[in-house]
Amino acid sequence: MEFFALLDCIISPACLISQTAGGLKIAMLLFLVASGLTLVFGVLGVINFAHGALYMLGAYFSWQVMSITGHFGLSVILGALGVGLFGLLFERILISRIYNSDLLVQILLCYSVVLILDDLVMIIWGDEFLSSLGLPEIFQVPPLFIFDAIIPPFHIAIITISFIVATFLWFIMAKTKFGRLVRAAAINPKMLEALGVNTNIIKAAVFMLGSFLAGLGGALAASLGSVVSGMGNSILIESFIVTVIGGMGSISGAFLASLIIGMARSFGAIAMPLFTDGLMFLIMVLVLVLRPQGLMGNKK
Amino acid sequence: MLKIDKVSKSFGGIIATNNVSIELKPNSINALIGPNGAGKTTLFNLITGKINIDKGQVFIKNNNITNLKETEITRLGVARAFQITNIFPSLTVKESIKLALLAKQHGLNNMWDRFITHSINEETENIAKLAGLTKVYNTISSELSHGDQKLLDVALALALKPRVLLLDEPTAGMGPEERWKMIKKIQDLWEKTKMTILFIEHDMDIVFDIAQKIYVLQQGAIIAEGNPSEIKNNQKVIKAYLGGGKK
Amino acid sequence: MPFLKKDNFQRDALIGVFVWFFLIIFYHIFPYPGIHDIIQKVFILGLFAMSLNILIGYLGLIAFGHAAFFATGAYTLGLFLQSNLVTNFGGFSIPIAMVLAVIVSSALATFIGIICIRLKDIYFSFLTLAFQMLIYSIILALVDITGGDQGLMGGFPKPPFLGIDLGNPFDFYAFTIFISLITIIMLRQLIESPFGYGLRMIRDNSERPASLGFNNQRHKLIAFIIAGSIAGLAGSLQALLDVGAYPEWAFWAKSAEPLFMILLGGMHSFLGPLMGALIFEVLNDFVTANTRYYGLVLGLVILSFVLGLRKGLLDWLLIKFYRK
Repeated sequence: MEFFALLDCIISPACLISQTAGGLKIAMLLFLVASGLTLVFGVLGVINFAHGALYMLGAYFSWQVMSITGHFGLSVILGALGVGLFGLLFERILISRIYNSDLLVQILLCYSVVLILDDLVMIIWGDEFLSSLGLPEIFQVPPLFIFDAIIPPFHIAIITISFIVATFLWFIMAKTKFGRLVRAAAINPKMLEALGVNTNIIKAAVFMLGSFLAGLGGALAASLGSVVSGMGNSILIESFIVTVIGGMGSISGAFLASLIIGMARSFGAIAMPLFTDGLMFLIMVLVLVLRPQGLMGNKK
Repeated sequence: MLKIDKVSKSFGGIIATNNVSIELKPNSINALIGPNGAGKTTLFNLITGKINIDKGQVFIKNNNITNLKETEITRLGVARAFQITNIFPSLTVKESIKLALLAKQHGLNNMWDRFITHSINEETENIAKLAGLTKVYNTISSELSHGDQKLLDVALALALKPRVLLLDEPTAGMGPEERWKMIKKIQDLWEKTKMTILFIEHDMDIVFDIAQKIYVLQQGAIIAEGNPSEIKNNQKVIKAYLGGGKK
Repeated sequence: MPFLKKDNFQRDALIGVFVWFFLIIFYHIFPYPGIHDIIQKVFILGLFAMSLNILIGYLGLIAFGHAAFFATGAYTLGLFLQSNLVTNFGGFSIPIAMVLAVIVSSALATFIGIICIRLKDIYFSFLTLAFQMLIYSIILALVDITGGDQGLMGGFPKPPFLGIDLGNPFDFYAFTIFISLITIIMLRQLIESPFGYGLRMIRDNSERPASLGFNNQRHKLIAFIIAGSIAGLAGSLQALLDVGAYPEWAFWAKSAEPLFMILLGGMHSFLGPLMGALIFEVLNDFVTANTRYYGLVLGLVILSFVLGLRKGLLDWLLIKFYRK
């Protein structure tokens, strides 16, 4: 373990701040995606192993819109919405068939969709890496210097956007009628149906929301890096880790866990460059062993 | 044979079992009755070790089994059939009973013989006969009728050769005729094996006909105990049931 | 042939011998390396899938992280054969390496099993996966020992033993099938023994065994260890085949392969996973020869099995033709 490298970094304000900012960026983007995953699980009881593929679609869709319109904001929004729509179809056609099936069926169905989509995007867009969306013009400015740390303003924008979306999500879930219905559907769908509420619409809406979030994450990721088939796989694993650590179904838990993982990745890259991913899995193992329901989860 | 001594249990602030004392004589057949929610199944769970006892003790033939593990209590002679059938859907009647018998003999660690041809087939047939399941011996459990599933549940408990047999609503979900058939089978069983039986039942006719001693549970506490004629005329019991009885 | 109807160990052993001789003769009658290759691979992956099916099909435990043991067996064998100990053991190196692979995999399975068995359902599944990825990360991190993301580099010797030279394709073919058949026959004995029915009992109803005086957890752990050991054995055979070991074998995608085979072949019949391995390999060969979009085809096949057939091929065939 590169203990001294880590120590050096923590002592130096420039390194500390830039690593923290980097960690926040990873965390917020991860939260965006993971919140969709945990939401879908909490309400629908489905572990969407295709969530990473939806993220990938978000990247591809937004790239496509960008190549047509050249407008950054439009690309991101339309890309995310496109995935939301795709999620709706996905839910109605496939997911609705496996609602009460066991875990094995869920994973096989979702994973088969991942395999199909991974190849489909290659057929449609080619197997080369697609270049990133690039920075929107507003952000093509010199980086900020905070205590000598170099912080691209765009990263701050991403952190802010994700945070705003997170707050929005919390607001919807906690304060609106829709949110109350969703939470009720998570606890007792049969009762809700008996009261005359069409839970199918709620389920579809929730899945759409979850897909939208994944797509948004993918669209934003497309602005930071290249777009390629299979790019959803690593974020899928990380989203799972976050969901498990935070507590399956808990959005606040996902937030907390995303922060932990984001920081662990950022500082872990310095302290244990060869074992950065391993650190994440170690945390996951520890949480599952010591507190299986996650940090904010409820003991069933 | 089975002594429950001032046993209490609460969940959160709610008292589920309140200072219950029951003493079952060997070779007796007893009934536990009470309105829904009185805590009858909870009492069974406390005896068999599925949940922990807060206060009080349970003895089987002078062995203190209070708060032992479920597996230990079973090995000390307490067997139980469940209210909601609790069997092995993909296994046949023969396979299920055989498994229960082998479990008793610690024979399930055996990796060297073939289960199907393994020795205790005669014993398995006997248990099946005792429970009246010979006709469906090779039927897969999930395909059994409701009544036969309940009998299988009892048969699994019988395989343990228990000293005390706890039956949780053995006639639940059955029509009147089936109910009498079931209870006659239980009575038959009792006469053949002479074990100590405690059963939970809602049908008063059945209870008064079969049971030697009746315990009445209400809101977690015993409000009356005695033989059928004593209970029939007990004011507290009549009030508790408010005319309840035949379903 | 009434003798064949008797379901016992002797019959199984005889069938195994017969199959082995058949495949040996087959090798000489049809000298196509491609087909021999498939047969070998089917047995190795079939072993892997059958070991997982102990947990999934017979115990009802969905283990996501099974490839951890496959990879451990492979690396153990590879590292041993690369080490200086080979000169000490000479001709016995390969048998020792394989035994070591099984021992190390069992040890790992014991460790992981003890921790994971306590958890239920999805938490169990996720913890096994977490452990597997942890092992994957460790393999990548210990670059000096394992070669990191390149895998074990430099190959290793395969010294002949007992007149068998694994460098010779025929010897390798015969040996692999031999080991696989022995393992399959022993596994069958295990599954059809009282122990095996104990597994089915737990699968059908995990609460009831306690009220029969039976301790679930020990039983599950033993099954988990056996499953891990067989997976390790399969891994060691794979390492011998590829003369190397690769970190991909510890990646989560590798755990999905036996899952697919179990789906394709069936989880409720003993040889289902083996048939699944056959379908999988044939599909793999056929599709990759004709198109680069293997994922698309595999995904569609799996989707149709999950939604359409809803059971594996062997399960379906047995139900169709064997219903009493």
